[in-house]
Amino acid sequence: MTTVTNRPASAGPSAPKKALIERLSIITGLLLGIVGAVLAWYLARTFLPVNTDGSYIKTRMDQEVFIAMIGWFVGFMTGIGALIGPFRWLLGKDLTHDETLFYAGKDQGVKRYFRYTTDHKVVGIQYLVITMVIFFVGGVLAMLIRTNLGHAGGNWLQPQTYNTVVGLHGITMVVGAIIMITGPFGNFIMPIMIGARDMAFPRLNALSFWLVVAAVPPLLSSIWLGGIPTGWSAYNPLENQAPPGMDGFIMAICIFAISTMVAGANITATAVKMRAKGMTWNRTPIFIYGVVASVALALPVFPVFFLSQVLSGLDRATGSTFFDVRGGGSPWLYENLFWIMGHPEVYVILIPALAALMEMAPVFTRRPLFSFNLAIMGIAGISGLSVLVWAHHLYVSGWAPLLNGPFMLTTELISIPTGMLFLVLIGTLWRGRVWITLPTAAIYAVLFNFTIGGITGIYLSDVSADAALHGSIFVTAHFHYTLMGAGLTSAIGALVYWFPKMTGRMFDKKLGWTAFWITQVGFNIAFMGMFMVGLAGQPRRVGAISAFYDKGNSITTMGAYIIMTGMLVLLHGVVVSWVWGTKATQNPWFAKSLEWSVAYPVPLENFDVLPVVTEDAYGYGKAQS
Amino acid sequence: MSELETTQRPSWWKRSDAKKAIFLWVIFTAIIGYTASIIQSRAMGSPASENMSNTINMVKIFTWAAAPVAGLVAALTITTLLGQRHFGDNPPPEAEHEIRNSPRVAATWVVVSTLLCLFAVIYGMVLVQADENKLRTANPINIDVTGQQWVWNFKYVDNGGAQSADLYLPVNKPVLFHVTSTDVMHSFWIVQMGIKVDANPGYVTETGTTPNKIGVYDLRCAELCGLYHAYMQKKVHVVSQADYDAWVQNQGGNA
Amino acid sequence: MNKRYIAALGTVILGAAVIAGIGTYVASAKNDSRVLEATPAGTMETPEGTLPHYTLDMSAYPDSMSGSHGADGGVHPDWVSYGPVTNFKVPAHSVITITIKQYDSGERLSNDFFATVHGTLDGTATLDGQSITNVDPEHVGHTFTLHGLADAKSQLFVSVPLPAVEEADMPDSGYTTSPRVVTFSFITGDAGEYVWNCEYPCGDGTTARFGGPMSTQGYMAGNFSVVKA
Repeated sequence: MTTVTNRPASAGPSAPKKALIERLSIITGLLLGIVGAVLAWYLARTFLPVNTDGSYIKTRMDQEVFIAMIGWFVGFMTGIGALIGPFRWLLGKDLTHDETLFYAGKDQGVKRYFRYTTDHKVVGIQYLVITMVIFFVGGVLAMLIRTNLGHAGGNWLQPQTYNTVVGLHGITMVVGAIIMITGPFGNFIMPIMIGARDMAFPRLNALSFWLVVAAVPPLLSSIWLGGIPTGWSAYNPLENQAPPGMDGFIMAICIFAISTMVAGANITATAVKMRAKGMTWNRTPIFIYGVVASVALALPVFPVFFLSQVLSGLDRATGSTFFDVRGGGSPWLYENLFWIMGHPEVYVILIPALAALMEMAPVFTRRPLFSFNLAIMGIAGISGLSVLVWAHHLYVSGWAPLLNGPFMLTTELISIPTGMLFLVLIGTLWRGRVWITLPTAAIYAVLFNFTIGGITGIYLSDVSADAALHGSIFVTAHFHYTLMGAGLTSAIGALVYWFPKMTGRMFDKKLGWTAFWITQVGFNIAFMGMFMVGLAGQPRRVGAISAFYDKGNSITTMGAYIIMTGMLVLLHGVVVSWVWGTKATQNPWFAKSLEWSVAYPVPLENFDVLPVVTEDAYGYGKAQS
Repeated sequence: MSELETTQRPSWWKRSDAKKAIFLWVIFTAIIGYTASIIQSRAMGSPASENMSNTINMVKIFTWAAAPVAGLVAALTITTLLGQRHFGDNPPPEAEHEIRNSPRVAATWVVVSTLLCLFAVIYGMVLVQADENKLRTANPINIDVTGQQWVWNFKYVDNGGAQSADLYLPVNKPVLFHVTSTDVMHSFWIVQMGIKVDANPGYVTETGTTPNKIGVYDLRCAELCGLYHAYMQKKVHVVSQADYDAWVQNQGGNA
Repeated sequence: MNKRYIAALGTVILGAAVIAGIGTYVASAKNDSRVLEATPAGTMETPEGTLPHYTLDMSAYPDSMSGSHGADGGVHPDWVSYGPVTNFKVPAHSVITITIKQYDSGERLSNDFFATVHGTLDGTATLDGQSITNVDPEHVGHTFTLHGLADAKSQLFVSVPLPAVEEADMPDSGYTTSPRVVTFSFITGDAGEYVWNCEYPCGDGTTARFGGPMSTQGYMAGNFSVVKA
């Protein structure tokens, strides 16, 4: 009784006096972050002991930078409102019902996209936008790299600038690719697809997104702190002698790794516990398997990434010697830690990408998914094997030559489950009625690009061939074929496919097709050229090249400019379609999965009445029509 | 379901789409295998050691083994495009079947890909073992290689410890490189000999080969090592034994 | 043409312009863009015949107050640096005589190879008036090491150690009045782009100590262009 009478008195969203929770947004986050950084930096400068004279370990600058960045991190997360919930718990309370609704972004219009909003659809859109921003930054950096290599001698950029550009391109693209499927579609689409009202842990969902945002300023600050000369792999001891920009990189990785772990736990829990009544594992869409495999794979490996960077940071800031041979450490330890994350990470990117394609294939061929079981076996097989292949990056490191054989075996075995996914896709296209749309085109393009990427991977997995090709730009071309040719192309297909559900509008077909063809043609020109010079012996990550490689590099640079054109058309297409596009019907592709059973805009808790599932989402074909 | 199908339909290879796919498969396999192997061996240049000859051969064989796979993917996908295409905003009518699986196809696919994979692994292992054995049994010249940002230098330990920034090797004589670094990681890579090993600070790693052709080749650093990584390269001179002896003596060593 | 394509073209042009702008900005950010050209000094007799002769003068300082970074030392006044500039231009197929005044102290090299003179005429250099082929690796201040891409062209490799100024001669402020003076000559081959750097580990880092000034052009590294005469 008392609670009922008291409720109108509590400060709801409509109350005249604004509660603290309503004042917090990205603006307070930025403000508090900057204040935190400056304050922490000032305290560090004042109280840290000075470098002893003559000491060659100049650690004080690194300590200051780290402390300032931790100040930024704490300030930003406080300012954005991440600590309100935990603080309430500390007081033995929790958020009130109204506050929870406010957190979910109820009735806030556009403002909810700039707050610590827990609604999975808001988080999905936020991820979509930040993914595009990250890809734009990475793309600009790619253009700088290719322009520098467009003519003999290079040196359009200073070598230290070039190395920083290469490193930042690598890390931004990897981060962008990791979140490009599980971020936007895993958050927006997945809960609706499984018939849930939200994620299992909505606040963790908001946390994972704002952690990504918090990681951006430290990473970009490295540009002004001397840069990162190491590439994204940040090998020691090169990392150890790098300027303070490296500290920004380390901090950004640590924050991003936490974000990935949080998102991984959340998405896994959601898919396991929140599926609608009747959605047995046999009736769960394959996209869910892909997303869960991806984030569940990230769960064990990203802590290793986090750890490797913490140890590097300690070496830099405190003079510890985890990776310093002179103090009993080993650079090989770093290489192992890095690649224990680094190789599963490419499957973290690829599995959900291919799963999105497998989700779309039945819709656009109007027949059931071919061999659902094989698809699951493929996904499980890749996930399982991927944690056992890391040392193929160390074949020529001299670390443990006896392990080359076993790692060659595991690496090549992974082609078997990958082949299963190929069969599922091709089998679904086979004898279907192919509805020619952009997502369909993405399926074909991925099959083409991924065949090339996969086969070149077999060369690299062979120890003898790797002795000739490791560290050459052939490797760069290979993983661009897999991560960009297959991964990013899938993501673009998925974007077009789910665009109507996320924005309420159809993706402009003409612009989409134009962008698709320009990008695919440019992509194959660019990276075929790169394969050639790689086979001929051009190393990776070089800013200056012998005249011998001019022709191949000119081709690649030309291809890169074509990709740029295509990507800008795509960006234009996204903006134009989002704002002025044709209004979409509820189910424009006539698909059978649950996300198409709700109208746009999807209401706050998705379903008025939770659905009950009686069959899987692939019931296409004669019997059903 | 599959029993029902076999009674109703002609054998799968008599279906027109299967015929088309098989035809395209043969064509694509030939084209892909031929062009890819030609382009690859052109790009990899002429080898200067047995290691590299073996590697080039292996790449060629892998390409020919992979060509049917790539050809099959291409043939099947293109066949699907040649079939029932549908354009427009509304979906096509449902497909004429609702086949959800074909254990036979799946099993064949998995078995064949496993065999291909095992072939690659076994072939690769045999080759690695062969290289390794050759390296250990021969009586090689030892050369200490030191990488230091961003210059290589060499110590001809079997020739009185002469030191030089130039790498000269006698032809047809096995050579064993003991590679280390004074600072960060580098990677010692002689392009035309197909050998590579990282130079790690604090450790000595080894690689070896037998150069079999007089000429000038390329040594490059293959591990990002900072500012002038791009410039950390050198010519490798493979010369006759007499020329080598003369050169070493000129460097203050003994032949 | 369709309106929608014109708009898309507009975005492409705009995007390309933004990228070009960023590129121009990034490319123009150089620590030291000035170039010192070698001074002609007649001809010289060499084993390869009579060749045009040019000279270059430079110094190695224990800080950045005297190089190309201005009187206040720029962003890193305490970094060791070469001066007056760090980019040099010399003609092809000529004898180049470089004189370096070395004002810094030093210690042990990490690699004795660089205590020896490499790639100069006769394999010698002149230290404070005396001809040398190598110096004590325990007391080296810096080195001047010139190298480049392994192109089809002739390869230039020159490395000369610059011995350290004795600790006793290092003043508390300003520079020593008795720098070590090293002079050496070498013959340039075909035109091409080369780089030079120091091989005495005098920068940041624990294992390598090649960070900071050692890894930054404009301090202990720079460009060395050999151009057609």
